[in-house]
Amino acid sequence: MDSLTYVQNTFRDYYANNFSLQSALQMIEKREFGFASFDGWMLRHRSFKTKNELTMFLQDFAPHDAYFSCAYYEEPEAEMERKGWLGADLVFDIDADHIPTQCSKIHDEWTCGNCAFSGKGITPEKCPKCGNERFDTRTWPCEVCLDSAKTETVKLLDFLMRDFGFSDKEIRVFFSGHRGYHIHVENEAARSLNSMARKEIVDYVTGLGLDITYFGLSDRKILQGPSTKDQGWRGRIARSAYDFVRNANEDDYKNAGLQTNVELLIRNKKALLKSLDGVGTWSTVKGVAFGTWKRLVEHSIGSISAKVDTAVTTDVHRLIRLADTLHGKTGLKKVEFALSAVSTFDPFKSAIAFKAGTAKVIVSDAPKFRLDNEIFGPYKCKKIELPTAAALLLVCKGRAKVVE
Amino acid sequence: MRYAFSKLAKNDYAKYPFLKAAIKYVQIPDLRIQDLADSNRENILKRAQQRLEEAIFDNIVSRDLHHEDIEIISFPVAVMLAMATKNSFIQKRYALAEANQTYEDLRKESEEKTLEVAKNFGWELASNKESRMPYRFALNLVDYLRNTTHLREKPWKLVNRMLSNGNVYLGIDEVARLLKEEVRRHIEKRLELKELPAFPPKITEIAEKIRKLSEDTIGKTEMEGFPKAIVQVAFPPCIKALYESFSSGRHLSHVGRFTLTSFLINIGMPPETVVEFFKSFSDYNERMTRYQVEHIAGEKGSRTRYIPPKCDTLKTHGVCTNPDELCQRMRHPLSYYRIKVKAT
Ligand code: SF4
Ligand SMILES: [Zn+2]
Ligand SMILES: [Zn+2]
Repeated sequence: MDSLTYVQNTFRDYYANNFSLQSALQMIEKREFGFASFDGWMLRHRSFKTKNELTMFLQDFAPHDAYFSCAYYEEPEAEMERKGWLGADLVFDIDADHIPTQCSKIHDEWTCGNCAFSGKGITPEKCPKCGNERFDTRTWPCEVCLDSAKTETVKLLDFLMRDFGFSDKEIRVFFSGHRGYHIHVENEAARSLNSMARKEIVDYVTGLGLDITYFGLSDRKILQGPSTKDQGWRGRIARSAYDFVRNANEDDYKNAGLQTNVELLIRNKKALLKSLDGVGTWSTVKGVAFGTWKRLVEHSIGSISAKVDTAVTTDVHRLIRLADTLHGKTGLKKVEFALSAVSTFDPFKSAIAFKAGTAKVIVSDAPKFRLDNEIFGPYKCKKIELPTAAALLLVCKGRAKVVE
Repeated sequence: MRYAFSKLAKNDYAKYPFLKAAIKYVQIPDLRIQDLADSNRENILKRAQQRLEEAIFDNIVSRDLHHEDIEIISFPVAVMLAMATKNSFIQKRYALAEANQTYEDLRKESEEKTLEVAKNFGWELASNKESRMPYRFALNLVDYLRNTTHLREKPWKLVNRMLSNGNVYLGIDEVARLLKEEVRRHIEKRLELKELPAFPPKITEIAEKIRKLSEDTIGKTEMEGFPKAIVQVAFPPCIKALYESFSSGRHLSHVGRFTLTSFLINIGMPPETVVEFFKSFSDYNERMTRYQVEHIAGEKGSRTRYIPPKCDTLKTHGVCTNPDELCQRMRHPLSYYRIKVKAT
């Protein structure tokens, strides 16, 4: 049996026997659905009246990937121009692909589709050699990377609730089934926002275009810097700088680009904290000049902004993976979890779709990984019998072939 | 007539005649078009004509608060006159000129009345209750975004604003500025009416006079806009947005301006017309504008003609706006245009 057939059969088994749509789907009849088949074609512009109808379709079709639109349409089945856009949920995608981690240099690789130039770590936007923008990538859903994606998620949630005022009932969080998290905001007023308005929201949470002169810091003289008690970005900047100053050692200052002032900053720690925590009259700390404050603030902005994927949020027609369906690149489920459970949520437990059975595979290479409580690997050119979920993950990621 | 529930008096409606309730304050609410030609209605028609003339000459429409009735009723009549000119340049200019006056008035307006005007347009605007924040108003985030995304100046960027719990905090001047945009759009919309009524000869006559006046003062080329060979309906969404925001007097980012200029040149608009276009809608320094346009066209300096950035680049700069189905298959706004031109 070839590997693709194995994956297809396993997916079929899941949809026929274990599948149910747990996650709520608001106004299902107004959504467009799309499915990728195992033969490589895409079925789009489908719609379903009820969850039941959709469930039956999935049980029967067992797609490689299943998607639904963040948008609501008058006629979801019509061509794009005739669909009648009624609005769209505000959606954020946080993916390890966009977050620099140390380990991505170990487990992620890219190869230029044009000149075959290759490298490790985050895929560049353009090939450094020929400028081409298409790449073949080889990535890994790594636990450390997913943790950093979760950290970004937590930062985003704080923005959404405190600054944007969305309630916990309007915000939903999902593990994507691969390398990241999806955050959906279902708020009636926000639904109507066009793509430009959504770009403004993305720029807000990523801190793009933030100009410190609007935060009390203008050239050379410091008027009224932000205080930890302030709201919005002002408070965020001050709180982030406060945490940094409180915990930073010499190296941290150096890494933040403050090497020339390390001694001064450490000596003045108390006064700095007082300025940040107080009414924000920053100019009172002796010897700490505008340039130093500026650098400190810029560093703080970088560490509290949430790294979301701009293209996803600004696309008001976007198709997004459907919760409770399998991710074709991992065989893991996309799963929703409670906002209150963010810190304890374990993607490598909750997203496992197969609890029984085994498969024999030849693994070309794979890093060490964990599923639920079991640790696997690392493997290199190894023939081995693995539990279904582990075998499926390796086969889907192109790291293993099914034997016989 | 008095309406106990409103915080606005008749005098305020004379100042803001575009408000929904304004018409209830005049004695002759069901005035018909035909009646306007009557000699005892002459004052109304005269003032309406004047409103348009002021728009053409001064770019701002004054207020005569001593004659409230005429002031209120002459507004819808002026809108009708603008429609009767069948000239989109005059119409746009009129909408902007009324909005300009509104801005001046609102800057000095009381908090209570400002809130009332905002409410008329469905805004969730409130006085700021948070003493820690030095702003007079709090505006609902969605209302804020709807009214600012096309304003490219840095201070309007959401990330540079005080945003808390779904409200954006604003000063009176900023609220006035945003309401001005709303008023302009509102009037433009009223002018959009698809089917024009049959105007009595007197109205058509005045409309013709206004047209003539506008041609004499502003110049024919600018009023006519694009040469025939340029198919405006084939513009991709990004260009449409840039074009519209620029022609309604907004400031474009550097990339935005470069994109629009190079696009217009590459689809065959003569550099001279592009310069005229920029000149007519902004206070850009003419010499600089001319130099830049000619530079992009390859007539000055480098001698190479520039083309607009490709879609990917426009996306990262936030110039790409509401891409449509055709966009999905496009990598460049110029190819979008060429394909669409063939199709139309
Ligand atoms: S996809 Fe390209 S052509 Fe379409 S709106 Fe965006 S930038 Fe313009
Ligand atoms: Zn290359
Ligand atoms: Zn990793």
